[in-house]
Amino acid sequence: MAKSLFSSSWYRVAELKLKLRRHAQIHRQQFRGETWYVLQDHQTGRFHRLSSSSNLMISLMDGRRTLHEIWDLVGRRAGDDPPTQDEAIHLLAELHASDLLQGELPPDFGELSDRSAKQARNDVMNKLRNPMALRLPLFDPDRWLDLTMPLVRPLFTIYGLLAWLALVGSGIVLAVMNWSELSSDASDRLLSAGNVALIIAIYPLVKTFHEAGHAYATKAWGGAVHEVGLMLLIFVPAPYVDATSSTAFREKWRRMVVSSAGIMVEFSLAAAAMIFWANAEPGLARAAAFNIMVIGGVSTLFFNGNPLLRFDGYYIFADLIEVPNLGTRANRYFWYLVQHYILGITNIDNPASAPGERKWLFGYAVLSFCYRIALSLTIALLVASKLFFIGVLLALFTVFGTMVMPVFKGAKFLFTTPRLQGQRGRAIALTGVGLAALAILVIFIPMPYGTVAQGVVWIPDRAEVRADTAGIVTEILSKPDTIVSAGTPLLRLEDPGISGRVALIEAQRHELQLRYEAVRFSDRVEADVVLEQIKNMDGVLASVRQRRDGLVINAHEAGRFILPKATNLPGRFLNQGDLVGYVVSSATPQLRVIVPQSEVDLVRARTSGVEVRYAGETGKPVRAHVSREVPAAQYDLPSLALSVEGGGTVAMRSGNDSNGKPRALEGLFVFDVSPDQPGQHLLLGSRVFVRFDHGREPLIWRWVRTVRQTFLSRFNV
Amino acid sequence: MSDAVSTRLPLPVLYAEREVARKAPLEELASGLLAYAVVAGSGRRSRRLANIVPRVNAFDTEFRALSDDALRLRARQASMSLRRRRGFPEDSVAECFAVIRELSDRLSGRRHYPVQLIGAYAMIRGYLAEMATGEGKTLTAALAAGTAALAGMPVHVVTVNDYLATRDAELTKPIYDALGLSVGVVIGGQSLQERQAAYRADITYCTNKELAFDYLRDRIILGQRAGNLRLKIEGLQDATPRSTRLRLRGLHFAIVDEADSVLVDEARTPLVISGEAKGEISANAAREALELAAALQPGSDYLLLSEQKRVVLTDVGRERIADFAEAHGKEWRGVIVREEFARQALSALHLFHRGEEYLVRDGKVQIIDQHTGRLMPDRAWTDGLHQMIEVKERCKPSARRTTIARMTYQRFFRRYTHLSGMTGTARQVAREFWTVYRLPVVTIPTHRPRQRKNLIDRVLADEEAKWRLAVELIADLHARGVPVLVGTGSVACSMVASEHLANAGLPHLVLSAAQDSTEAAVVAQAGELGRITVATNMAGRGTDIHLAEGVENLGGLHVIMMERHEARRIDDQLAGRSGRQGQPGCFQAILSLDDPLVDFAASRTFKNLCLALGPVLGEGPSRWLLRHAQRRAERVHAGMRKDLLASDEKQSRTLAFSGRPE
Repeated sequence: MAKSLFSSSWYRVAELKLKLRRHAQIHRQQFRGETWYVLQDHQTGRFHRLSSSSNLMISLMDGRRTLHEIWDLVGRRAGDDPPTQDEAIHLLAELHASDLLQGELPPDFGELSDRSAKQARNDVMNKLRNPMALRLPLFDPDRWLDLTMPLVRPLFTIYGLLAWLALVGSGIVLAVMNWSELSSDASDRLLSAGNVALIIAIYPLVKTFHEAGHAYATKAWGGAVHEVGLMLLIFVPAPYVDATSSTAFREKWRRMVVSSAGIMVEFSLAAAAMIFWANAEPGLARAAAFNIMVIGGVSTLFFNGNPLLRFDGYYIFADLIEVPNLGTRANRYFWYLVQHYILGITNIDNPASAPGERKWLFGYAVLSFCYRIALSLTIALLVASKLFFIGVLLALFTVFGTMVMPVFKGAKFLFTTPRLQGQRGRAIALTGVGLAALAILVIFIPMPYGTVAQGVVWIPDRAEVRADTAGIVTEILSKPDTIVSAGTPLLRLEDPGISGRVALIEAQRHELQLRYEAVRFSDRVEADVVLEQIKNMDGVLASVRQRRDGLVINAHEAGRFILPKATNLPGRFLNQGDLVGYVVSSATPQLRVIVPQSEVDLVRARTSGVEVRYAGETGKPVRAHVSREVPAAQYDLPSLALSVEGGGTVAMRSGNDSNGKPRALEGLFVFDVSPDQPGQHLLLGSRVFVRFDHGREPLIWRWVRTVRQTFLSRFNV
Repeated sequence: MSDAVSTRLPLPVLYAEREVARKAPLEELASGLLAYAVVAGSGRRSRRLANIVPRVNAFDTEFRALSDDALRLRARQASMSLRRRRGFPEDSVAECFAVIRELSDRLSGRRHYPVQLIGAYAMIRGYLAEMATGEGKTLTAALAAGTAALAGMPVHVVTVNDYLATRDAELTKPIYDALGLSVGVVIGGQSLQERQAAYRADITYCTNKELAFDYLRDRIILGQRAGNLRLKIEGLQDATPRSTRLRLRGLHFAIVDEADSVLVDEARTPLVISGEAKGEISANAAREALELAAALQPGSDYLLLSEQKRVVLTDVGRERIADFAEAHGKEWRGVIVREEFARQALSALHLFHRGEEYLVRDGKVQIIDQHTGRLMPDRAWTDGLHQMIEVKERCKPSARRTTIARMTYQRFFRRYTHLSGMTGTARQVAREFWTVYRLPVVTIPTHRPRQRKNLIDRVLADEEAKWRLAVELIADLHARGVPVLVGTGSVACSMVASEHLANAGLPHLVLSAAQDSTEAAVVAQAGELGRITVATNMAGRGTDIHLAEGVENLGGLHVIMMERHEARRIDDQLAGRSGRQGQPGCFQAILSLDDPLVDFAASRTFKNLCLALGPVLGEGPSRWLLRHAQRRAERVHAGMRKDLLASDEKQSRTLAFSGRPE
């Protein structure tokens, strides 16, 4: 519904003569090409954004004109869209709520104390609602900042900026140059116990410089800083300063500099630390420099620089895209969209007024909501793994605050808001249908359910073709990639020495035989000795002959003869036991699949079918069955292709175990899977994706299972 | 009377009223929960209050022996002891009750029953006494009002119409005279001096409307400077202090008769006093607006929401208005202004009709009260709508009127330092009485067991069948000489009833809601042999229907309800017309599915379903549908009251910078 010009309660305010209190100041600012006015309340440090007609109205309030006169004047001057009486009342009510109005009436002390009590209650509630970010104000640094300002003043000039650029630039260059050294097991160094202590010592120091940056930047352009305090972020103390007075700056780049001053300071610290680190000898000082680099360079970018968190990055971003009060308005815009387009409420103001704001607001609302939930749940889980009770409490709190409360509020809105008058039925029906559809989807509709695991095409030991004897390959007797029967000669090797040796030994044996014949009847003792020598020679001869025969490699079993590198094999020397190729006995190769511990139960208990996709042709699933499962968990991988480093999914421990083999972080279970139909071009050792089908199940039970598993694995509950 | 006035002490606090308590956090929730306990405690409270009866009876033998003068002296003594101690101690109250009962007995022969004592004591304790109809509430109120006045508190006895205020005051005046208390009556049309005199009396009988408007006018005079000290200092230094222009003496002790009508039913609409506004819409602009409105097409340019009395402009309509505005003068500048013009012109043309919402008399547009159907010559619609309608009717546009004071009954009655009430039907809204007014309901037992027969409701397919059955039944009763009261929901329905009865050749009397003594007389005689009376619920309220000789043997008064009212309570009030004070009586509802109450979204489907199921399940589904429709109406109205209260409180908060609300 369109707005009405008149308000039924205008009579209450029409004759009032009000004026703005002295401690309020109005600044003119540009946002997305529109002129706005920012009302600064020097007493509370709060700001109010005014439209130009509101500003006109406030400017006309001189304590002599009545509000009705002012409203008439504004109506005549404001042209197309004079403020309605309701809007005027709303504006005044807001000003009054901030104690910015002065009139001839004495203040209503009851109302004042009521309001301040409510404010105090809200403050406490805010702290309780946000136990992860408590603020403890300490002192007013304004005078100290004034005294020390001359020392840092040169930094806020073009030369200061150039110096900063030079410093940070050289830091970056050094970092790139020393990249390999920097990144080599950085995580190891960072999380070692001794280093954590160092970080705890350095972190507040770096953050103090960071906050000093904000404070001086604010002072540099005439702002005031009246509060310094400690903030407990996830129970970690960090200093903060109140730099809100910079909101009054007219130029947006100044506001941005104030917001980014902290990050800039940390960058320069990091750059200085980089220069030191590159030139210093290993020791405590160098470790400290390394930590400063990490805090000032990396963590700052991800924490302070992140616009989705309400830190520096948020303010920089909001000023950059000229959407003031981005977070709040983004949420409001999102709800506006819901109310306007889904619930069909027409008499609601669009909070996105400036051109081009909508996409920012919408995007920010959605992204920041998801990010916030993910972040707070992560924090809660992290805390819970150390302090179970508090963590679970936090998690419940988060879920309550981000899911339950909005639902409750939404329901209350749906059933009670006067805005829905006349459309409530429709709105409730629509929401109900939506929710019911969602509920049915989640609770009742069975969805395909399966576990996807990776495996490799596995070669059984007996399928390997190895050189029985060392020799040079002379001939490939069977065509590779054909089916051979057992005993078929596959390769011929040649060892020139060995035939000579056979001849030699044969000759020697012959000689002994002759000697035996010679002494057979003359000297019995001698004859027996020679006979033994002949027997020995026979043994040697047999073994050498066997080696000679081994030069022809035969197939042990029937199967497909696979010979990698067949073309460069002839002429190559093979050592005894070298792997030459394979004879894969059956046409259906084994697939060895690993399933992580967390999913093994499901795979064991509820697998109703198995589907295999080969890495080469992921588009063509092949049916298969589990042929063997290993009941015990193991930590070593059948193939390194399955590790994260090899492109798989299994995270490995850094460093090898006592046997020199890499170990997985989590226990793994091995399943051997056989495809029902023979595959065509199987590359041995290649990756396969196996999906264990668990039938169909509604989503809700899966979520329940996941939550239970999370609790089981993390807290042993 | 004279000696009492001469010895009356000035009030210690000028224009006293209860300080508005700031709402503590969670208070609303807590009071909502507590309300269940409070409602459940009704019977227990009633039993505890019954302790007063033996204490009053203890004085009986002593007082019967006293002379009139000695009795009066005892009244003075009781008064002194009440004044000396705060909070109405039980022994003093019992003594006062005993004196008043004895006086009433001697003056008119009407001696209060025990249940009346309990009822009066409930009101002294600040409860809402639920007393069955016909239990003598006027006399009960006199007991409480007399006691409170003897304790030195100005008492307001609030009733629903002028006739009842006058009648009750006359009926009880002898008792107050005997006690040395003065009585005043405030009714419509009195001058300021008359009102001031009436409010200066110890006990003032008045109607809720007059009282609330008088208070609102006082508040306009008092404005933001209403402090006790300020008023006293003004009284010392000014020749004509503002206090001389005030009507009331503050809000001290109120006894609200028919409390559910006053505190619940009428609390849906706020009271508004309007005055002339400075800015006005020129007749020219209004004429242009009407031209424009006539040119706009319903459906494509605008939508009419007649139920909510609202006009919604479509985007096409907005563009047309913009085009129109461009071609016209500077009064049409501004999007909001021009759309406001257009909407009001559309409302004037399509939502307000001559003869329904207003009449044109002496070249002036006069509003018809939708509640009572009477003209209200001094009222006007606000924000230029009135002028628009005047231009539409080719009258000279009056000055634009604007609100100068606004009040809700909720806010008003909550300001009484001591609020109490009585009604026949409070159970169903007991929770609301507690949450809104902090009035716990006490159910007072009846003096004699009730003998009314409630026949099962009949629900017929349509109006025609309903009237056929009703006329048949009435003719039958009439032939037997049984007096019949036909209860209707509106004046229009009364007319239809009259037509049907006349066609059947049945002699009858029709009452519209004139609310005067002749009407009361007609209602009072509705118990005569063979009498047929057609009346709305409003007609002749608070008047006893005495049964003529021999009627009791015929089964007493037979009440037939022709339409369901908007709340079950009001049905009960109609039923309460028969079977008073243990007399026999009969109540029956003859309804149809065409009842105006059954007119909500999807009601058509339900109706068809009821009709289809009729042959199988009988009238059961139809009865359920009507009851459901009534519950729905109750819920809607309760929602409206709640919204009004909530928006009132919200507005008080928003407008805190403009000081205290009036």
